[in-house]
Amino acid sequence: MGSLADIRVLEFASQYGAYAGKMFADLGADVIHIEPPEGDPARFAWPFYKDKPDREGSLKYLYHNTSKRGLALDITRPEGQEIFLRLVKTADIVIEAFNPGYMKSLGLDYESLKKVNPKIVYVSITPFGLEGPYADFPASNLTVSALAGWLYLAGTGNNKPALAYGEQAYMMAFCYAASGAMTAFYDAEATGEGQLVEISMQEAVVTACENACQYWDFEKIERRATEEIEAGRNVYECKDGFVSAMFSMGDNRRIWDPFWQWMKDEGRPDLAEIFGSENFRSRAYRATDEAKQIFKEKAEPFIKQFDKTYIYLETQKRRTVCYPVNDPKDVYENEQLNYRNYFKKLYHESLGGEVTYPGEVYYLEKMDWGLKPAPTFGQHTVEILKELGYADEQVNTLKEGGVVIG
Amino acid sequence: MAKPILDGLVVCDFTWVGAGPITTQNLAMMGATVIHIETHNRVDAIRVVPPFKDRKPGVERSGYYAPRNANKLGLSLDLSKPEAIAVVKRLLTMSDIVINSFTFGVLDRWGLGYEDCKKIKPDIIYIEMPPQGRTGPHKDFMAFGALINALVGVTFLTGYPDKNPSGTGTNYTDHVPVPGHLTFAIMAALRHRRKTGEGQFIELAQSQSGVSMVSAIPVMDYAVNGRIQQRMGCRHLELAPHNLYNCRGERNWIAIAVYNDQEWESLKKVMGNPEWADDPKFAANEGRKANEDELDAKIEEWTSTKWHRQLMDELIREGVRAGVVHSGRDVTEDYNLVQRGFWTYLMHPETGLSLYNHSPMRMSKAPVLSVTPANMIGQHNQQVLRDLLKYSDEEIKEMEEKGVLN
Repeated sequence: MGSLADIRVLEFASQYGAYAGKMFADLGADVIHIEPPEGDPARFAWPFYKDKPDREGSLKYLYHNTSKRGLALDITRPEGQEIFLRLVKTADIVIEAFNPGYMKSLGLDYESLKKVNPKIVYVSITPFGLEGPYADFPASNLTVSALAGWLYLAGTGNNKPALAYGEQAYMMAFCYAASGAMTAFYDAEATGEGQLVEISMQEAVVTACENACQYWDFEKIERRATEEIEAGRNVYECKDGFVSAMFSMGDNRRIWDPFWQWMKDEGRPDLAEIFGSENFRSRAYRATDEAKQIFKEKAEPFIKQFDKTYIYLETQKRRTVCYPVNDPKDVYENEQLNYRNYFKKLYHESLGGEVTYPGEVYYLEKMDWGLKPAPTFGQHTVEILKELGYADEQVNTLKEGGVVIG
Repeated sequence: MAKPILDGLVVCDFTWVGAGPITTQNLAMMGATVIHIETHNRVDAIRVVPPFKDRKPGVERSGYYAPRNANKLGLSLDLSKPEAIAVVKRLLTMSDIVINSFTFGVLDRWGLGYEDCKKIKPDIIYIEMPPQGRTGPHKDFMAFGALINALVGVTFLTGYPDKNPSGTGTNYTDHVPVPGHLTFAIMAALRHRRKTGEGQFIELAQSQSGVSMVSAIPVMDYAVNGRIQQRMGCRHLELAPHNLYNCRGERNWIAIAVYNDQEWESLKKVMGNPEWADDPKFAANEGRKANEDELDAKIEEWTSTKWHRQLMDELIREGVRAGVVHSGRDVTEDYNLVQRGFWTYLMHPETGLSLYNHSPMRMSKAPVLSVTPANMIGQHNQQVLRDLLKYSDEEIKEMEEKGVLN
């Protein structure tokens, strides 16, 4: 089986890029997660294993750093920079997420590193890009989601929008960072020349705005959530929670017709007559307030009498779509995911117990994918220094001086 | 200027709607020749969904279809005809990648399954991206991105606690989680092929990439701690203040995120150090979080008399993480994005000058961007059939007469 085992990635992006390193590491690459002496901030993020605050127990840290090796290193010290530069000589990819200009101030920006290793692929993740009017703006997941136009879409009418769960501005940047890194590496391996891959979170998030910018460009409409755009497209209450329905999608009738036919099958020809009318079969009518009101009064009570799994299965049977709004427990217990053995359990010595992880995002026929526990703080520091040719004595001096921890 | 990295790579693209076309657009922006195979008999469902140029519906006028189909060549084929399958098979002899998002098993029925394609092109990279995977009890289930969001917990975890769960208001998993992971996997497979000469099969279950990217930590939290996390508007699990606040005017909100006590002091300064803010209960994050309702109300009392853009400037100047909530319109006019050349307008035969974007993967050696506007159905038949596949004019004419190109 193939893997990425011959690729070395240096990643010190903490919570702003660790997942990009994980994507490489789970396919077998040697990913070295570099942490500052005070520890990766993600180590202190809630929630913790068994709710016990512990440097080794943050679920976020554990998840984002699977299959990596760990090096605790102070890169603000000249000795630390020396170690880093030695590592760069052996590496293929560097992924960092410091503020613009910080790596340059340490003499560790792309221009400096390519002198040491011309093949190096250097990935920078910043909120607004290395250059540009916002480059130095203080930022967060929330403010980037706002400025990228994505947040605006998560609400209807004049209601305040809701922020997507799980720091998605950072996650989107990771995804592009990993793809960009892999692509640039593919090129560097062939040409002998690396390059700078620059990821702006704001730009990454704009690509999740669906058609919102085109709504302005083409129709001069500032669109919001797709829910309630038409009757039959929304989250509806059901007997045991909520379902998300997409009975309507523009002028497609293929997913609308099975909806009212289902009503007939449930012994409600009266409702089938209303929603099977030529009016309701057209997008233009379903988009009117009148149609939405009729849907609310007639269709919503119909939906409300069934539980979410029943609705899910009955609509699938008829080739239309209405999915359960699953909570984390439902996801964990999901029949399909469990059939596919998606969740994996890893035993952590440092915790004395097992942690459950989401598993494969993809299956590659010829490449091994696997999870190993994230490194404990400084777990591989000594091992890595020795690989770089540092003698025991030097390692001890570096440890005593606080340049490395391990 | 260096050649685009994927220059010369040929992608046989059977995808439609969301996640597939966005993935192949990533490849097309990196220089691959992506041949988008469609039929007039059943057009890409998204072509009939608004926005439409000047609000006039038409299969070549959708601003939903356009921004995810730049840089591609349009080939129309009626795949129910054996002659059309023969064209695909000729295309396969020179393809590097085949990708489809059809319902499970459709290509197999046409004799274009992985085993069939491998016989024609032994090192082919063959990609399937079923909503929930190709095995298991729900393998045949239909879905769209917004429903995958519901299935994997995005919808449940996103919204306001006192209202129905709402989700992102978009088909989020289609936009970044699936294409972001899949682009990475494809690049890993291309690299493996170059190293070993082997192609391979790739399967990406959209549901699994959704859990991995969005709901991983809440699912882990349930598995190890038994907790079911809940939606929380724009608030943060640990920090306060962290929210959206009304400003003057309609839909004018400002996002403010305070990560530490120093930033809180800066926010107080911009607020003019009001007396209430000096209450000791607000001095540290823990107290601010415990009294968040009161804190948010006080802050909003202040912001609601302000202009959001002006306020953002003042807050940024003092080092507070802040951002106005941009609409689709605001994003197309955003100063940072415009200055960085993120947007471009391309001339399309039906929609005229239309908005397209740069890839968020900014590569220093060769740009990754939209060069040609969205393909029309079969727009490049001549170019593909004659120039690439070397069919004679007579053969092409015969195909046209037999309806092979419908």
